[in-house]
Formats: sequence, C-alpha cells, structure tokens
Amino acid sequence: MNFYLINLLIYAAVDAMACLGLSQQFGVAGVTNFGFIIFQAAGGYTAAILAMPHDTANGGFQSYIGGWGLPFPLPWIGAAVVGGLIALPFTFLVGRRLRGDFAAVGLLVTAVLLNLLVTNYRPLLNGDAGLSIIPAPLQGEFNPQSAGYEWGFAAVGLALALGVYLFLRRITESPYGRSLRAMRDNDIVADSLGKNLLSLRTAMLVLGGAIAGLSGGILVSYISTWSPAAWGYAETVVLFAAVIIGGAGNHRGAILGAILVPVGFEEVTRFIPTSNNLPPNLIPSLQWVAIGLLIVVFLWLRPQGIFPERKRVIGLAGAAPAGRAGAWGWRRRALAEEARPETPVADGDGGAAPADGVTAGWPSSAVAGGAAPEAGAADSTGGQRDASGAPRRPSPLTGEEPEGDGGTGGLGGGTRSQAAVVADGEDAPVGLEAVGVVRDFGGMRAVSDVSFQVRQGTLTGLIGPNGAGKSTLLAMLAGTLPVSSGRIMYRGQDITGMPAFRRARLGLVRTFQLASEFKRLTVLENLLSAVPANRGDSFRGAVLGKRYWKDDESAAIERATVILERFGLEKFANHYAGDLSGGQRRLVEIMRSLMAEPGMLLLDEPMAGVHPHLARRIGNELVALCSEGMTILMVEHELAIMDEFCDPVVVMAEGAVLAEGTMEQLRGRSEVVEAYLVG
Amino acid sequence: MTIFLSSLGFGLVTASVLAIASVGFTLQFGVTDVLNLAYGAIMIAGAFVAYVVNQAGLSVWIGLLAAVAVCSAGSVLLNSAVYTPFQRRGTSPITMVIVSLGMTLIIEFSVQALAGGTSVSYAMGSGKTLRAGGLVLTVVQIVVIALSVLVMAGVHGLLRYSKLGKAMRATAANKTLARNCGIRTGRVITITWALTGALCGLAGVVFAIDAGSFDATATDIFLVLILAAVFLGGPGQAYGAMLGAVVIGIATEVSAAYITADYKYVIAFVALLVMLGVRPTGLLGARQ
Repeated sequence: MNFYLINLLIYAAVDAMACLGLSQQFGVAGVTNFGFIIFQAAGGYTAAILAMPHDTANGGFQSYIGGWGLPFPLPWIGAAVVGGLIALPFTFLVGRRLRGDFAAVGLLVTAVLLNLLVTNYRPLLNGDAGLSIIPAPLQGEFNPQSAGYEWGFAAVGLALALGVYLFLRRITESPYGRSLRAMRDNDIVADSLGKNLLSLRTAMLVLGGAIAGLSGGILVSYISTWSPAAWGYAETVVLFAAVIIGGAGNHRGAILGAILVPVGFEEVTRFIPTSNNLPPNLIPSLQWVAIGLLIVVFLWLRPQGIFPERKRVIGLAGAAPAGRAGAWGWRRRALAEEARPETPVADGDGGAAPADGVTAGWPSSAVAGGAAPEAGAADSTGGQRDASGAPRRPSPLTGEEPEGDGGTGGLGGGTRSQAAVVADGEDAPVGLEAVGVVRDFGGMRAVSDVSFQVRQGTLTGLIGPNGAGKSTLLAMLAGTLPVSSGRIMYRGQDITGMPAFRRARLGLVRTFQLASEFKRLTVLENLLSAVPANRGDSFRGAVLGKRYWKDDESAAIERATVILERFGLEKFANHYAGDLSGGQRRLVEIMRSLMAEPGMLLLDEPMAGVHPHLARRIGNELVALCSEGMTILMVEHELAIMDEFCDPVVVMAEGAVLAEGTMEQLRGRSEVVEAYLVG
Repeated sequence: MTIFLSSLGFGLVTASVLAIASVGFTLQFGVTDVLNLAYGAIMIAGAFVAYVVNQAGLSVWIGLLAAVAVCSAGSVLLNSAVYTPFQRRGTSPITMVIVSLGMTLIIEFSVQALAGGTSVSYAMGSGKTLRAGGLVLTVVQIVVIALSVLVMAGVHGLLRYSKLGKAMRATAANKTLARNCGIRTGRVITITWALTGALCGLAGVVFAIDAGSFDATATDIFLVLILAAVFLGGPGQAYGAMLGAVVIGIATEVSAAYITADYKYVIAFVALLVMLGVRPTGLLGARQ
C-alpha cells in the first residue's frame, strides 16, 4: 500500500510539473505548444544517457549515445538544460508571421516526426525498445528499493514541483507576466505597444521546455526505462486536457488538472474490474475516448476550467502627487535620439495651462461610466493638489484656475520641448514622413506612391472615402504592415524596416479601429501593460522579484490613476476590460496609448461608433495634448470632427493623396468634394 | 532505373490516395476555416466500415460505397454538431484545433474499442500485375489511380463550372459577402462537408487497400502526409492540394528507394515544416 502511495505521489509531482510548464506556455502566454511532450522526452533521454554507463555495459544490448555515468544531480540538471535548449529551433514556428493553429499543427507534426526518427534510428537512443536499467539517483549510496529511499525520492520530487510552482507564480505576477498575458489576449496589439513577441515567446518556450525536461528526468530516474511509446503525440493531448480542465492560466488549476487527468484517470481505471470477456484493448481505448470527450465537453461547458484565471485586483494610487505624473499622466519621453535638442523646462515653470476651451464644463452625462462630474472638468490645469492632497479644481463654469504653486509640476512633468510653443505651422519640425509609400495586395494596389509629412505638435487628420487606403497607410506607418516600397521616416530616422514594437519603443504608438483591449486583463492592467520602462517587464526583472520592480510599478500605478481619473473611469479600474461598453473601451484604448509615453500617436478612427458628446470630449483632449507637444495623426471618417479639431488635413482617395490643407481650403476644392460624393 | 520506376509506381498510388484525401481536407478548411484533424480518424472509420461489409461476404467495392455514405453523413454531423456551435461562439482557431484533436481521440479510439487492436486486411485479390515500360502495377492499384483521376476531374468540374462550385469558392473567400450576395452559405457548407466527407471515406478505403493491413491508428502518420500536401499547395486551395499530393506522394516513395524505407516520411515532414516556416500560404496561395 505504501508503495502504491509513493508511486502516486511521484507521478503527481512529475505530472504537476509538466502541467505547470504547459499552463505557463499556453494559459499565461498563449503559446500553444502541441509538441510539448518532446521536451519531456528530451529531458528524460538526457537524464538517462547522462546517468547510464557506456552502452557496452550490461552486455551491450542497448545502443545509445552518451553514457557518461554522471552522478546525481547532474542528470536532472542536464535534463532541464537540454529541455530548454531544444526549444530554440521551434521558435521559428511561433514567430509572428504564422497563424496560431498552423503553428500548433507544425509543432504536433514535429512531435510525431521526432518520435518516428528516434524509433527508427536505433544507434541514437536504442530505437523502439528504448532505454532501460537507467540508474536511480545516488543508487551507490542508498538502496533504491528501500522505503526510506522511495519516500525521499517522492519528497524531492514534490519539493521540486513546489519550487517550479513558486517560480512560475513569481514570473506571472510581475509586470513581465502581465505582458505575457497581454500578448496572449491580443498579440498584434501587444506588438504595437512595444512588446517583443518573438523574445517573449522564445523565453516561454525555453522555460516551459526546461520544466518539461526536468519532469522527464525525474520520471525516468524513477521508472528506470524510457521508450518512444511513452511519449507519443497523444500524451501532449492528455496534458492539454489536464490544463484546460484544471484551468488554463491558473497555476493551481494546472496542479489540479494534473491530479485529475493523468493521475486520477489512470487510477480510476485501475479499479474497473477486468474480465476475459472484454476485448483486451477495450479499457485503454475507452480511456482515450473519455479524454477526448472530456476535452470537448469542458471546452464547451466551462472553457475557463475548474479554477479560472484569477482577476488581478490592484489598488489605485491614493492622493497621487502630480509631480511625476502630470496632468495627463503622460510624460514626454526624453528623446535622446532626436536631432533637435530639447530645451528642458524646469518643473518650477509649470502650471500654465493653455486653456483652449478644454476646461469649459463638459456635459457630465457624457462622461463614460458616470464618474463624478467634477473629475471630468477638473484636471486640465495640471492635476494640482493642494496641501491636503485633494485635487484643486478650476471652477467648471468659468474655467478659472486656482493659483499654481509651481512646484508640483504642471503639465507633462518631464522635459518639454519648444514644440509646445510652435503648436502648428510650417516651421514645426517634421515628425513623421511618408516617402513614396506603396502597398500591394496580390494584384491590387491599396496605397500608391503616397508622400506627405506630419509636423510635430499638430493634430493632423487623414480622411477619405471607404477603400481610400487610410487604414492601410496607418498600419504601414505604425509597422503593423510592411510597405511594398517607399520609405517611412520618423524624426529624421528611416524606420521603414523597423518592426512595430521597436517603433512603439521609439515613441510612435498606434491605436486600432476595432476592439483591441486586452480582454482578460483589467482596465488598470491594460493601462499598466503599456508602460515602456518598467524594470519588472523583463524576464530578469521578474525573476529578481517584487522588491526589484515595485517602485517602477508604483509610479506606473500613479500615472494610471491620474489618467483614469482624468477620463472618469477610475471606478472601472478593476473591471475586466472586455466587460466595458463600446465607448468605454474606446477610452481605455486611448488612455492605454497615452501610458506608452508616445511622442506621436497614430489613431485609427478613434471616434468610430462613439457618442457625439464623448467624441467631442476625446477631440478636446487630443487638441490639448497637441498643445503640449504631442503629435497626432488621426484617421477619421466624420468631416465634422475634422472641422472641429484637425489642422492640417490630408485627403486620400483610391490609394493616393488627393489634397492637403485646412478643412476650409479642402472644402473649396472640387476634386475633394467629388471624391467624397463619388468614391 | 528499374528501382526508380517501380518506386515511381508506388509513388503514383500513394499520390492518388493522398490526392483524394487532401482535396477533401483542404476544401473543408477553405469553406469552414477549421483544420479538421479528425479527418484521419474518419478515414479509418470508413476503412473499417468497408471491412465489416467485406467480412459479411460482400465485395470491398460495395464496402467502399457504404464507407462513402457513412463518412459523408458522419462528417456533416461532425461539422454541424461540433465545429459550427463552437465557431458560432467565437472560439479561437487554436481552441478549434484542440476540439478537433478531442474529436480525433473520440472517433479513432471508438473504432479501436469496437474493432480491437489487431491489424486486419480486406479479403480481396490484387488482380493481375501489369507492366508498362518499367512500371509495375497491379490491377487494383491502377483502379485506385483511375479513381483518383476521376475524382480530381470531378472536383475540377465542380469548382470551375458548376453553380455549387462557384458558391463554394465564394463562401471560402468571404462568407459574409457570399451570404449578402444571396448564396445560402449554410447549405453550401453542409453540402461541402457531405462531399468532402464522401472523399474522406473513399480515401480511407483506398488507403486501406493500398496499405494491405491496417488498424485503427494507421492513419496517424498519413494525416501528416495530408497536412504536408495541403500546406505545400496552400490550405484551402483544391488545385494546390492536388499538386501537393503528387509531389509528396512521389517524393516519399522515390526517396524510400534510395534511403532507408523507415525514413521515407521524413521528406514529407520536412516539407511541411519548411512551408509553415517560409510560406504558409502554400505554393499556390496568395502571398501574404
């Protein structure tokens, strides 16, 4: 009986470890690795060939590479290392370009292929028969058959599983983990916010591979045999079933799934009475049928699993000092690479709000989420707080501002460039330039030879009838779509070949036309995910733990709080972004793009489907941002919005630039009028 | 040279089986946007249906008709009862793959539960052996090749010249737009699954005939060949699947003559991985 329990515990530890690794890849990071079993197999074989003597031993009935007879714990360490290294060649399958299900199929096929190769090529790992008489750890010092040894083995296995759990929890609960979840929820958007998808996915593949490898090493050392039959592609399906049923993205769910499926299943069928009347294959076949049924039924009834992913509730910053955050929670990034030197303005000068109509009372009914009306009208002047920490508000009616005390940093706390003064006009330096940009889709030319410039500090509009190529052009400017030919220059630098995430890190940030919030992250997490310089947003930072990154995180939360209050959505901070209304989600997207510390925003129809009051409010916010030095290029349909907010405006039709100028000038031009009536 | 020619002969037979299977698979993907990984399981189910009919004393070719009917109905059921409800919910493509894997387990191992784990064969003669040039083929093999050519011609005619075929192509290209043009996409999809399910059953039986002996797991590796052919030609492209089938079918058999037969599938695997990595839209697909 004891032996049975020990057996169970060891299998539980191994399966839990494997499921944790898979849950991290699949549930947290959205990397669907259907070849997962390969990594466990690789770990198992590595541990074996490291621990076994040379293959001439034991009468030489096995033939395999390696055989260095290394002592414990080297085989297990080797197992983890090899499991991680083997992941590297797979990264080409999970790079950006490939559709998720295609990549999954590629990985599945690889698992089948490798199983086939190992089975058929005997000198490698003894082929179909597999390896046996694998030495147990420390079998020289202890008797592997003794109860004490077995208990010790189980204890070590469980301890390692616990260690893996704690490590993964540390990674996942960090800003890095948040980026992983953002990538899972919407990888294209994460890319446009500065996340390096390839690097994130590679890291997860390697980490999951190492964990799987370790689990394989432990298993192999216990059962002392390992053959291709033990790691067919179907084993990956079992692990996926376990993770899905337990709850993908929840580490405790992974452990539960491991206990229920690989372990529980086996055990339950053990108690089914066998009889000679039944065909010999019946029970194992029905087991597989049951696993298939479990997968389909669970995905239908409860796709989130028994333990769904937990909502991360984060407290908003209290009396947020405006010093670092500034009115908009947006800080102009120090642009070291910019050709034109910035003139840093000391914080003492702060406070002067270019009150350009922004402070006039907004209709509070328009405030999405029904936040306190004062909050809406209030913080245009710099979120100044009085001595008690309560925000000082200008009178909503007259727009008068309270006396600034200067020291608490007015608008845009950091450096402010001279561009803030030169808000528009031809003397402003060029922020973004398209030079002869062309985009073909098969035989169709969507954008043909477009050249124009966007000057810094302007709110430039890009309009045109449907099919004019506006969104395509915007996607090329942002890097989400490659150009067919032509160049894109950002502040004098050629960024044509630069991927979207690098452009975001330079300060060129885009929004999307269709719903693009990270649905399974809260509103606050959505905002925090966009922050570019959080120390915890790297693997190393995550491993170093909370103490390392909590300052950056607190600063980010402060900024986010200010922005949320600005837009009146602080009540929704801990709601899932996917649960908000359309207009609210639109605001979340805009707030999130501001959190990314952009130097230039590319907005793709930000007012689409939005209530006119809210649209006007957004427009006012954008204008105010530009007066502080932000550059914005906005694609829009509504001419009324262009009228009110944008200057200059670029008109496109049928893939080419038709005209440029102020709305008044454009209205006078017949070809523009025709394009809208006809095109 | 004789080795080459005889392996070419094998290659033609494999390509024929593969072509029937791949065209069915790729059309299912084209019209529904689902990689139906349970396709191999339905194939082998069809093979066993024919086996049961065969064991009852009837000819394998009658069994083939039964298999075609059963697999056709089964495929329609699979799509309408499983895939469509999930898709209507907005399930992601990856989860659809997991669902299809779940269905694979259910179908394949239900067959195994009923049929047992041992390999079986059809009771049929292989007919006379004919030689032409260096090619050596039995009558049955020639029938298989002929069937395949007939099916390809039929698919070509359907897609190119018939109203249904145009409706299928339209639905595959843009379902919403097709619906707005008055095409009854729901019906088109059902008919597509019925037709491709029939192809699946046919493929299963000729696969079993070609393989000689088979068990419930025999199509596991074959599914990879199907995937290789489909992705080589471009997922959703019927002509691409035909091209891919010819290339993969002949390449695997010819390579078997020169490297160890155990590794003949490696070419298919490598081709698939390379295509996925380099040009996932396939040789005939539009460049992304």
